[in-house]
Amino acid sequence: MIAATQGNAPIPPDELSPGHRRGWVRTRVRRYLPAALLFLSGLVLWELIVRVFHIKRFLLPRPTEIIGVFGREFGTVTAAGWFTMREAMGGFVLGAVAGVAIALLTSRWTLVRDGLMPFAIAVNATPIIALAPIMNNWFGITNPMAKMSIVAVIVFFPVMINMVRGLSEVSPGNLDLMGSYGASPRQILRRVRIPNSLPYVFGAFKVGTTLSVIAAIVSEYFGGSRDALGVYISQQAALFHFAEAWAAILVASFSGIVFYLAIVAIESLVIPWHASIRAVADT
Amino acid sequence: MDGRYSHPSFVARLASAHVVAPRRVVRSDNLPPMTDSPAVAISGISKVFESSSGRVDALRDIELHVTQGEFVSLIGPSGCGKSTLLRLIGDLLEPSAGRIEVNGTTAHQARLNRDYGMVFQQATLFEWRSVIENVELPLEVMGRDKAERTETAMAMLDLVQLTEFAELYPYQLSGGMQQRVAIARALSFEPSILLMDEPFGALDEMTRERMQAEVLRIWAKTGKTVVFVTHSIPEAVFLSTRVVVMSPRPGRIAGIVDIDLDQPRTDDTREATRFYEKMTEVREALRGVQAG
Repeated sequence: MIAATQGNAPIPPDELSPGHRRGWVRTRVRRYLPAALLFLSGLVLWELIVRVFHIKRFLLPRPTEIIGVFGREFGTVTAAGWFTMREAMGGFVLGAVAGVAIALLTSRWTLVRDGLMPFAIAVNATPIIALAPIMNNWFGITNPMAKMSIVAVIVFFPVMINMVRGLSEVSPGNLDLMGSYGASPRQILRRVRIPNSLPYVFGAFKVGTTLSVIAAIVSEYFGGSRDALGVYISQQAALFHFAEAWAAILVASFSGIVFYLAIVAIESLVIPWHASIRAVADT
Repeated sequence: MDGRYSHPSFVARLASAHVVAPRRVVRSDNLPPMTDSPAVAISGISKVFESSSGRVDALRDIELHVTQGEFVSLIGPSGCGKSTLLRLIGDLLEPSAGRIEVNGTTAHQARLNRDYGMVFQQATLFEWRSVIENVELPLEVMGRDKAERTETAMAMLDLVQLTEFAELYPYQLSGGMQQRVAIARALSFEPSILLMDEPFGALDEMTRERMQAEVLRIWAKTGKTVVFVTHSIPEAVFLSTRVVVMSPRPGRIAGIVDIDLDQPRTDDTREATRFYEKMTEVREALRGVQAG
């Protein structure tokens, strides 16, 4: 948006105002047009290849067939998608809140951090999804909590680990300054450590959105309510209804992308000052 | 006034001037201290850093008095401990031996009294805060109310001529402007002493000279005591009333050069013969340091 100015000559105020939005739409169109074109030509190519080489429907259905499924089964597929997204988002919120809360505790008691972090990092590196059958057993196979708990555990660890890093990896100069103001540890936490941790936390949240959708669907493959997207996909695939399965997979990816973009939008509202956001805003 | 003369140590102070100072009266107005005790009195300071690779004698037997309102520069080759000395004064480090008194109390108490405004080589602005929020931060920590904070911060930004940039974020400013924000922030809570650690080290020469003029203007206007670390001879001579030349390994004071150039100093000062003479004097003191 605004380039860093050289020297310390004052910048004319009109260059500073973000008022130059006139070419905004045009630059957006120019920016996303190549991707849109590539997507469309990909679909056309897919359709052609399947028709020309007579690829069997159970191997790869045609795009038009998959779109046709939405005509017939739109209500079923989207309802299943919404059911699973609620599990994903519910588990995400549980895991994120717990991750942030535990990270804040570790900043208060370093003993907690030193005790907890090795285990957190170890657990984060294990395939938590493997617990899905166990959770089905604990909560009951149709209970959404069975899936939400898996999602929550999967989201918890990256959020917690990243927030602890963000709380502790603070610029020493900033701490010196706070010291010269006679700031209390609590004031340093609130005014330096927590703001400093936000970019780390949002990084973890973004990873968490995709992880949570994956975790919800895969844990549904181990069984669950008939309203769930993962159950729908595995059943349709078992019945050789591959166009239906593909349609459901599209719903899953679409929901995952929307979830991710929602977090990105929140991030740009909460930390507009951060370099990762600026980089996007500047282009 | 009364705090000064009613205190029992007043007699002691007469006996050993500038060494034992009365306990500082807690002030609410943040004016420069009403004592004539030195702003900074350093006696017998040594600092040893212990690390796995061995002991480093950073400073040995430092004696230095800085009077109220003085502008003192610390200059010397890298490793002479000038930054360490500044950090000791500011209570960011603790001495291994010796004593530091600031405004008649300990360096630690002076820090808690908010006597220090600090400026480092990096502006160390808080990137999540706008310019004005950065300047307000010390006041916020000190619990001043919003109206007072805004008013003070705007006055400080006016002092460094950045009022029109108040709402921008640090990344939108040039290096020189960021450093001016850091200075405004350091002044916002009216500390009596400014500690500046190579504040213009990262700036280009033109910006640097402009910033020096600005600091002198602020110094003249506010009457602060300034302790300024630099490795630039012209900078030290242009700014200071005294230049403390330090020598490395172990860091100690090799000499002190009085800079009695006329005030206020201007661009003409930089071209005066006396300015070059003073530069030569400092340079020779430094040369002695490196030869020894």
